[in-house]
Amino acid sequence: MAHIPDGFLSAPVMAGTAAASVAGLAVAVHRSRRHLAEREAPVLGAATAFVFAAQMLNFPLGAGTSAHLLGGVLVGTMLGPWAAMLVLFAVVLVQALLFQDGGIGALGANTLNMAILGVGSGMLVYRWILGLTGVGVRRRVAAAAVAGAGSTVIVGVAVAIELALSDTVPLAPALVAVGGGHALMGIGEGVITGAVLAMVLRARPELVGGVPSPSGWDRALAYAGTIVAVTLAAGAAYLASSKPDALEAAAARLGIQEFETAYLAAPFADYTAPLGGALMAAVIGVIVVFVVAWVIGRAVTRKRLGV
Amino acid sequence: MSFHHLDQYATVSSPVTRATPTARVLAATAIAVGTAALPLGAWEHLGILAGLVVLVVAAAHVPASLILRRLAGPFVFVLAASTGLLFLVPGTPLIHVGPFGISDAGLQRFGFVLGRASVALTAAVVLVSTTSFPELLQALRQLRLPAAVTTALGLGYRLLYLLVDELERLQRAARSRNADGGTTRRRRLLVGITAAGLSRAFARGERTHRAMLARGFVGDLPSLAPKSWDLGTALVLTVLIVAVVAIALSAHLRF
Repeated sequence: MAHIPDGFLSAPVMAGTAAASVAGLAVAVHRSRRHLAEREAPVLGAATAFVFAAQMLNFPLGAGTSAHLLGGVLVGTMLGPWAAMLVLFAVVLVQALLFQDGGIGALGANTLNMAILGVGSGMLVYRWILGLTGVGVRRRVAAAAVAGAGSTVIVGVAVAIELALSDTVPLAPALVAVGGGHALMGIGEGVITGAVLAMVLRARPELVGGVPSPSGWDRALAYAGTIVAVTLAAGAAYLASSKPDALEAAAARLGIQEFETAYLAAPFADYTAPLGGALMAAVIGVIVVFVVAWVIGRAVTRKRLGV
Repeated sequence: MSFHHLDQYATVSSPVTRATPTARVLAATAIAVGTAALPLGAWEHLGILAGLVVLVVAAAHVPASLILRRLAGPFVFVLAASTGLLFLVPGTPLIHVGPFGISDAGLQRFGFVLGRASVALTAAVVLVSTTSFPELLQALRQLRLPAAVTTALGLGYRLLYLLVDELERLQRAARSRNADGGTTRRRRLLVGITAAGLSRAFARGERTHRAMLARGFVGDLPSLAPKSWDLGTALVLTVLIVAVVAIALSAHLRF
């Protein structure tokens, strides 16, 4: 449920997300004009039409399921984050006005989720990974795949938080149902984004926006960011394990114990990894994500680029 | 791909289509936002807003069958999304479905959210059924949307149908060469088609832009025979917005 229909959000959430979207779009308009200059009109028009058309193509994922491209990160790698935000906003707007895909009242929330947070977080991850690894064809494809997957998860989490703030669904089940759904969609998005980007890099490399090779300072910043993120994740996991489960306490307060067991049965139940300790679980989580992304990136580029 | 059927009723003369598109967009937005902003359980207020939407449908001379047909697609989606509420909202369990329970609070929220969504959805469907895309664009431009966005929308809408046709042609060509067998091959084929679509969209966009510059394009797309504001439209719109705000406010004061 990436497009929130009308009726699911409360008035304050609609107003707040709309205000945030207007502010975000104002910055995007300003920055994209500086970046694209007189190429702006044709490039944005073409990208809008492309995202719209690409969302109509259904990729079979196996087992009778299919997914379509969301396209935020893919367009971001071509046009840069600001122009991509405008493109995604145009798409969300047409979907709401012409096809009733997402409500008119919920337009602010949908814009914030898909155009601003989706593209913004995706491009942040993309640049961050390239800062860590340096720019190369394979690395860019792998970074775009991870960014595509990550941005989809962020969109899902944002939707869940907005639904919870609107008092439509309690946060924990919303996070599991909507966030979990988006985590699955994110795998598809990551693979499709990486595969299409690899092909475009081979056929029309000039379409893909250049990313300057990271300077020593950029790299230092990216590594520092990674260390902070891992520390924060480990710290949060440690706190969560020492204070017996804030999530479970919240669930008990909301009276949803009976649901919680059904939804939250994860492979690492209660975040206790086989080797013991929440810290290990956090570190293993980070490593697994990077290894999976690396493998997907390598597999995709090797196939597409014939290297 | 044809899109004539989308604007079929935008050319019918009615009190709604005679109003400037900006007023139509504002009215639909007011009704949709007002409905969506109703607090849970305000059934009477929802009923009044639903009546208002029915009045607008009658005034627009759009057949109910068309409205219902256009509602069907998005409604299925809304129904699916609100069905989740049945199971996710805690409360006293009434019915058990496998490991999950449907609670009384869940049932109430499901009903009201679905009601709100349907009324807001109908308002949006009436807007799009009575307003052609160029008119919609004119309204968005009058509402001071950034020029970059409205131009992207205008060019994007023109390119979209060409691009969809192009993607279909690519798929047909691949299928006629037996490139469609098996899930893996189909997936690979779709990646190729998407990438080709991307580069063709940009190529066509640049070409169209150059042609437009040659014909004197200076940065905005003029609309033919733009409808302007008149006193009656402004009055009706003001009354409608005040009424919707009053209904939403009174609902909030009561609940």
